[in-house]
Formats: sequence, C-alpha cells, structure tokens
Amino acid sequence: MKESLSGVRSVPIRGMDLRALESTSQSMALGLSGEEMLRLSDYFKGLGRDPTDVELQAMAQAWSEHCCYKSSKFYLKKYFSGLEKHDAILAMEDDAGVVSFDDEYAYVLKMESHNHPSAIEPYGGAATGVGGIIRDVLCMGAQPIALLDSIYFGDVGTRQWNDPSLHPRFVLDNVVAGIRDYGNRVGLPNVAGSVDFDTSFNHSPLVNAGCIGIVRKDRIVRSFVNRIGDIFVLAGGRTGRDGIHGVNFASATLEERSGQNRSVVQLGNPIIKEPLIHAVLEANDLGMIDGMKDLGGGGLSSSVGEMCLAGGVSAEIDLEKVLLKEPNMEAWEIWISESQERMLMAIDPSRLPELEEIFNRWGIEFSVIGKIVEGTNLILRYMGEKVLDLDLEFLTSGPVYCRNYDIPQRKDIDYVLPSESFDMGDLIKRFLSQPENCARFNITRQYDHTVRGDTIIRPMSGFPNHETHSDAAVIKPLEHSMKGLALTAGSRYNMVAVDPMGGTFGTMVEAYLNIMVTGSRPTSVVDCLNLGNPEDPAIMGQLVQISSAISEFCSRLGLPVVAGNVSLYNQYQGINIKPVPNIMMVGVIDDVSNSISSDFKAVGNSIFIIGKESTSLGGSHLLKFLGKTSSSVPWFDMDELKIISESYLKAVPSGIIVSAHDVSSGGLIQALLEMSFGGGIGFDTDITLVSGARTLEKLFSEGGERIIVEVPQSREKEFLEHFRGIAVTKLGKTTEGSVHVDDFGMTVIDGTVEEFKEPWVHGLDGLV
Amino acid sequence: MEGTNNEYEAFQSFTRVGLDPEFIHLNDLRFKRIDLSEYSAIFLPGGFSAGDYIRAGVIFARRLADTSLQDLKRFQDEGKPIIGVCNGFQVLTETGMLPGWGDGISREIVLAPNDSSRYECRYTFITMEARNPLLSHGMSLKIPYLIPVAHAEGKIRIINPDKNLKKLEDNNQILFRYSTPEGSEGGYPWNPNGSISSIAAISNGDGNVIGLMPHPERLFYHYTNADRSRYGEVAVGQRFFTSIREYIVMKGF
Repeated sequence: MKESLSGVRSVPIRGMDLRALESTSQSMALGLSGEEMLRLSDYFKGLGRDPTDVELQAMAQAWSEHCCYKSSKFYLKKYFSGLEKHDAILAMEDDAGVVSFDDEYAYVLKMESHNHPSAIEPYGGAATGVGGIIRDVLCMGAQPIALLDSIYFGDVGTRQWNDPSLHPRFVLDNVVAGIRDYGNRVGLPNVAGSVDFDTSFNHSPLVNAGCIGIVRKDRIVRSFVNRIGDIFVLAGGRTGRDGIHGVNFASATLEERSGQNRSVVQLGNPIIKEPLIHAVLEANDLGMIDGMKDLGGGGLSSSVGEMCLAGGVSAEIDLEKVLLKEPNMEAWEIWISESQERMLMAIDPSRLPELEEIFNRWGIEFSVIGKIVEGTNLILRYMGEKVLDLDLEFLTSGPVYCRNYDIPQRKDIDYVLPSESFDMGDLIKRFLSQPENCARFNITRQYDHTVRGDTIIRPMSGFPNHETHSDAAVIKPLEHSMKGLALTAGSRYNMVAVDPMGGTFGTMVEAYLNIMVTGSRPTSVVDCLNLGNPEDPAIMGQLVQISSAISEFCSRLGLPVVAGNVSLYNQYQGINIKPVPNIMMVGVIDDVSNSISSDFKAVGNSIFIIGKESTSLGGSHLLKFLGKTSSSVPWFDMDELKIISESYLKAVPSGIIVSAHDVSSGGLIQALLEMSFGGGIGFDTDITLVSGARTLEKLFSEGGERIIVEVPQSREKEFLEHFRGIAVTKLGKTTEGSVHVDDFGMTVIDGTVEEFKEPWVHGLDGLV
Repeated sequence: MEGTNNEYEAFQSFTRVGLDPEFIHLNDLRFKRIDLSEYSAIFLPGGFSAGDYIRAGVIFARRLADTSLQDLKRFQDEGKPIIGVCNGFQVLTETGMLPGWGDGISREIVLAPNDSSRYECRYTFITMEARNPLLSHGMSLKIPYLIPVAHAEGKIRIINPDKNLKKLEDNNQILFRYSTPEGSEGGYPWNPNGSISSIAAISNGDGNVIGLMPHPERLFYHYTNADRSRYGEVAVGQRFFTSIREYIVMKGF
C-alpha cells in the first residue's frame, strides 16, 4: 500500500483474488461481500487505478444494507410505489414524510429503528435513536413537537443468564433511561408508543423511535440540493471517532460483529441539540436553507452523496474544513464518522453572514465544508490532495438484491382450552400482572409528556393517580387552531409471528382504531419493519407478506405510507426475532375539545361494543400466557372498519360517546378493565350476546374491529339510531366501583376495580 | 441558555393574557444586548440548563449571577415579579434569591432528588397556602388546583428545619403545597417528590420572587369537554398568568 502526505493510502484491489478481497473487506471493516468487492475491483479496473482507502470506505457505507436497502428495496418498491399519496405532500421521497395538516401547515413524521446499537450499548443506542429521529424531522424545516417510541425486550425477569450478551432487564432499564434523558433534556413530550416482552428479543432488543413536527408549507426544506454555487455548511456537534462503521455493524447479525466494539455506537448530546433546533428553525424561517439533511448512518459520506445525487448535481468537499473533536483523524474517518448532533445544509453564499449571526447567537459551531458543482463526480480533498473522485451514481445507488423468499406452509395446530373449572377472576389477575399485559406507568412517567403544554390526551387518561392507558395521544400543534394530531405506534407481533399477513392486518387495524377512538381521522402511516436475517428465504417471506399486507390495508383505507425503515439481521446465534412490523399512525381531529379518552366518565352510563363478533384466540396474549400456540389469527374485515370509522367519526362532535377504547391485547375483558382503571368507575355487564363462543374466548379474543364505548343513558336511543346497520351489542352499565360479568346466566367475574387494578399497576415493579 | 425548555408554553401563557413577552438568552445579558430594567416581569422557565449534569440549575445560576445579579436585585427590590418554574426555581435557590434571607448565596433550601429517585411526570393538585400580592387576582386560598409536575430533582429540603420551616411559615413564604383532590395533605404520589411539609412553591419575604416546581404554564386551558366538566372551566395556568398580569397593570410596571 502506498502512503501519501494526507495519510491516505491507495488499496491495490485490482490485483486481488476473491480471498484477498474478502480479507481486505474484513481487515478494513467494510462489511462488503466477496462478490461486492469483485464488482468494485472490476469498476476500478475500468478506471485504470486503485481506490483510496477513503473511496473504499465511502463505498462500504453507501452499499451497506442500512443505507441502500439492498435486500428490501426490490420488494418495498413493488408494494409501496403504487400507493396513492392522499393528504401526503412528500411520501417516501425525503428524510421524513410530510402530510398536509391545514391550508397553511403540514406535519412531518418519521419512525426509525436503532436496534443494533441498543443491543450492545442500550443507553447510548436508545438516546441517539431519539436524537437521530428528531434530526430527521428537523431537516425538513419542521419544529419537532412530540416523540414516541416502541421498544421490545426479552425475558426481563429471568434469573438464568449465562450468555455474554446483556441481560434483558439491564437492556430495558438502560433503553428507558436513554430515551428519558435525551427526550426530557431536549424538551419534547414523549406521548405514545409501546413496550413489549418476548423471549425472541432476548439478545436482539428493538428500539423504534419516532418523532413528529410541524412546518409551514412554504418553509418545507427538501433533502436534496440542486443550486449550483451553493455552499455546504456543517453545523452543530463536532466530528469525532464515535460511531465509525455503525451502518456496517447494523447490517450484520450480532455474533458477526467482531469484538462488540462500542466505538460503533455514537454519543448523543441533547444540550447541543436543543439550541441547534432553535438556530436551524430561525435560519429556515428567513428562507435561507436551500436543502438540508441530518448526519446519521454513514455520516458525511451518505448525506453529501444522497443530497447531490437526488438533486442531479455534484460537490467538491474539503475535509480539512470539518471541525473535529480530536486531532489526527484520518481522512476516511472524518468522511464516515457518525458523530451526533450535526446538520448539513446548503445555502447561497451571500446569506452566510446572516447564518453566522444566528448560529453565533445560539452558540452553535459551524463551518463551510464545500460547494455544489455541476458534474457527475463527487470530489474530496484533504491536505491539498484529491482523496476521492467517484461517480455519484455508482457510489450512492448501491446494489439491489432480489433475494429469494419462501413462505413456509403453516402446520395446523388447534389449541385446547382448559375447562372452565378455575376461578376466572384469579386467572385475570395473574394475566394482568404479567410484564406483557400490565400498566406501563413505571416507564411512561419517566418521560416528560406535558412539556410544550400542547398534550391534550396524554399517554395516560383519567383522574390523577387513578389513570389508565390511552389509545392514542392527541396534541395541539398550533396556537391559533383547535385542530389536533393523534399519534400511536405499536405492533401485534404475536399475531404476526403466527401469520405475517393476518397479523400485519391486525396491527394496522389496531393502529387505525387507536387513532379513531380519540375522534381523529387517520391520515398517514410510517412502517418500521424489524426482521431477522434476510439471507434466510423464510425471513424474506415475512418481509414480502408484511409489506403486501401494509400496502393492501393502506390502499383499501385510503392511507399513504409516507416514510419507513427496514431493520434486518436481528438475529443471534441462529435465532431470528419474531417479525415486528411496527406501525406509526397519525390522524387529525378538527377540534381537540371533542377528543375522547379511554376512561369511564360517569356512573350509570351504558356500555356498548361496536363491531361484529370475533371468537378466535389465535395469536392472543391469553394463549401466550397459557403457553399454547395456534396456527391462525382472527380475520380482520377492512370493509367493516371503514363503515365503523365513518359512523364513529360523525358521532364524535355530538358528544353521544363519552369514552371509548378498542379491543386489542387482552381482549374484551382487558379493554373493560382498563376503562374502569381510569377513574375507578366499574361495570356491570352481560356478555351472553357478544358471541356464541366459550366464555374464555369471549373475554380474551383480540380479533375484529371492535371498540367499547360509554354512552350517557339519556342518549342511548340517539346512539343506536346513529349506528343503525352496524353490529352493536349492549354490554351493561357503569357502576360505582364494582366489576361484574355474567355469561349465560352465570356469574363469571365479581369483584372490585381496585382488586383488578392492583396487579395491573404493579406488574413492572421491581423490573423498572 | 442551552438545555432550557418550557419557554414555548411560558411564552404562550403570557401572550394569552395579553402581555408581550420576549425571549432573552443568557448571551443577551452577557453581551449587554438588552436592559432588564425595561421589562415588567422575569420568568425563568424549566428544563435542564447545561444538561443539569452537576446539580440542577447550578450552572445557569452561576452564569446569571455573573452577568446580572445586581440588575436582578434591583428588579426584585422594585417589587417586579421574578418567577422561576422547575429548573427556574432551582436557579433562584442557587442564586440565593429564594428564600432571600441573606445577601450572598444562602443554602437554607435545596432541591434534592425525588424520593422515588426517578423522573416523575404526572398530574397532581396544589393549594395556595399564603396570600401573595402577585396571585391574589386569580387564585384563592385552600382551593385545590390540578397541575402538571415533571422533574427528577424537586424535593424541597430545608437545612435546620426546626428553625427554618417555621421561619418560612411565619413569613408567609410557603406559597403552595401539594394536596389531594380534596385539598388535604397527602403522601406520595400527591406529593410527587417527598418535599418537606408537601411544599410545592415558595416566595421571598415580599412575595414577588416565586419559585414553583409544578408547571402552571403547561396547563393554561382545560381543552377537552371531559376535562372541563371534571375540573371546571378555568385551568390553573389561566388563573396564574391572569393574576400576574393584573399585578403588573396595577403596579404600572
């Protein structure tokens, strides 16, 4: 290898055989396969020279699974490119989705996984996951207004742990702390999301972080540049050695990641981020930013390349101009570092003094690192030498694999339920005390969810200190408007594991109902797909089925998929995670004063269930609790969902529905109990007419598009009239604090709200 | 300064009662870009100034004291309102303006980590315990008001409590206590942090310097119909800021 003044080396790959290429890929931590190295070698043979180490590292970034989606792109394109945009302004085009909110404003949303870093450094991995998603929203020019996150952990209660990977409980505590410390410090309310537990996440925890922001439509900033002569400004944190090779790391399974090198995980600093947000938004308000991208996976290499390629221009970058945390960084390290809190923006050079004034006032460091030029080749200089000169198209677009997929035949398994000689109340209490099924307050109260003063429906609803879970959060983004945004995120991964397609439909239905029950109309979807090793055709089969289900649901319900993310290689020692399509859905409510929460409001009101019967326990939390498996999941009827939602949303402004909750995990009984936990108001119900199935199935089936609603007795007639033509069953009425359920003339449950609430509230005590 | 947040909702709250607030960055004071004497009230919002990695509010307090302690003292002596919420409260105790018993930095009162040793974001109730010139136009004694809290270090600890707690009471400096919905003193979680004597807010002797851990600026309106029927038409934030405005107008600041 030759060495030069800049410390940049030329790597003689042209003369290497496959084995040498593979070992070079390994020794330089490129993460490229032998075939991919061969392609590079051929390319440079064509150019008549060897690549520099900077060039090879840049190629490795761009061609990583994380950056170019080489395994999933083919199928994502197949299933999502044909979807209509509806209210979306930008769908799958830029760093985040942009959807119309009202005539003047749009909301910006994105959710992304940060799984691999969180597996080895849970605190930093989760914190930087939050930081990264905030920057994705910020780089569209939007004011971030709320956060949400879905997190998945292994068996947090286990005492037997002989594995070198981190104990799930340690991961849980540190992920929660990372999300808390970053989000709270940056001053954004964390308002929604989900927490799940399953042994398949024992070594591969999932951290999916989401953010939503608001922007005036004429101030949306695109993620590309096309103005020749503009300069690139890099602002915020300095560039250091943290987070080098993060994307390559995230594109391999855990045991392939040699040495578990923590330097691949970036360090977050919310105290730089907070003024950075102010400074960027102030500059954008003055219209000086022509294009912007945050620096995440792949660092400058990805951001510069993608911004230029998308705009049809090229750039000349001077690496010496990049402000560094530490001296003596090599050129390639500067180029691919994933240091946090950095934003890259393109501005007209004439506006630099204004930008300088703003950034100085906020105490934010920045430097001009290069300019936008015509041409096809990206050029990088360091110490006066040209260290990278590559065709952008070749560098950035990356290979596309149409990987084989296989949809295995499911074995028919029929579960046998225990005969009902047990105490139902006791079973429910034990069920509710499980980490999977209990209250999440020990976690959600650690997140600031009221900062900014815009949170209308919080993650918890009801009377203070007697609260229950909300279905979706509602926030009011604009001072001058009563319009609100409803947010939810989660997955019915137990169902997806049984039937990827059916379970994904179930996931979509639940998200839709979560938004709808608050009185909001869903208007956009972000999908975060978390899967195992894509080199296994069965895993690709999951990707195909999940994608096609999301696509079908969205086209049937008229929803755009505006952003997404695929996280692969969530596998450890051959064990893949259960597939998790984590869905973020956002809706709009015209007047937040009409928003409906999940807690029962008054004694003596009538309780109804809307939606036709479902008796299947397939993929339910009850079967998991009983240690039984099933081979099918309930059927979800998208036509019925559409009819119910039209009718429900029309009823909302009239006030005939005072509380509502969807039937999902834990079925009918958990839904009723959660409604009662919010204010201590109980229920007296008869479930005979819910379906013709067994009591356990009536109580615990999670199927259908069903919601439970509370209606003032005086308005019962009006209510039934309104929902005529839709399956509506009266269950009973609300009580002072007693819980009573009859079925076929027999009492199945008789107790108090408090006695059921106790195990539910304390389920996570001692764990977090 | 960096790490301060809650400024958005504080700004909105002042605007909603018809005042004309401005954001002032610590750097504006440091470089003398503004003159504090031209303002009618100062509000120090919450957050995590400088990350709060050392002790909540300490760096903010030092920097504020370095640049403007004399100006602040003058502001205080003129009777103008100085309000610190959450991290802003911590700043006021760190500068010694609360409880305001000595010159220099007094250490009679500190804000310690919550008893639960974790961040607590929840709603609770507070009742006003002392007549205060700033709040007498919108809030009443002994009425429980619903209010959000969100902090990890909000437990009021009093050094030499036998003497100093009594002194606070005698001087009418205990402004709000955490309470149950019925207005009586309750344990955790009504008192979310374990504060001595359930204290949620104190003032200086004259009553124009106020430090609160709860956030009236985060609950200006009860937006939903359900909340209005449960908690009444007017929320704590509207009462609090309306009263401040009345005081400013009355005094001609």
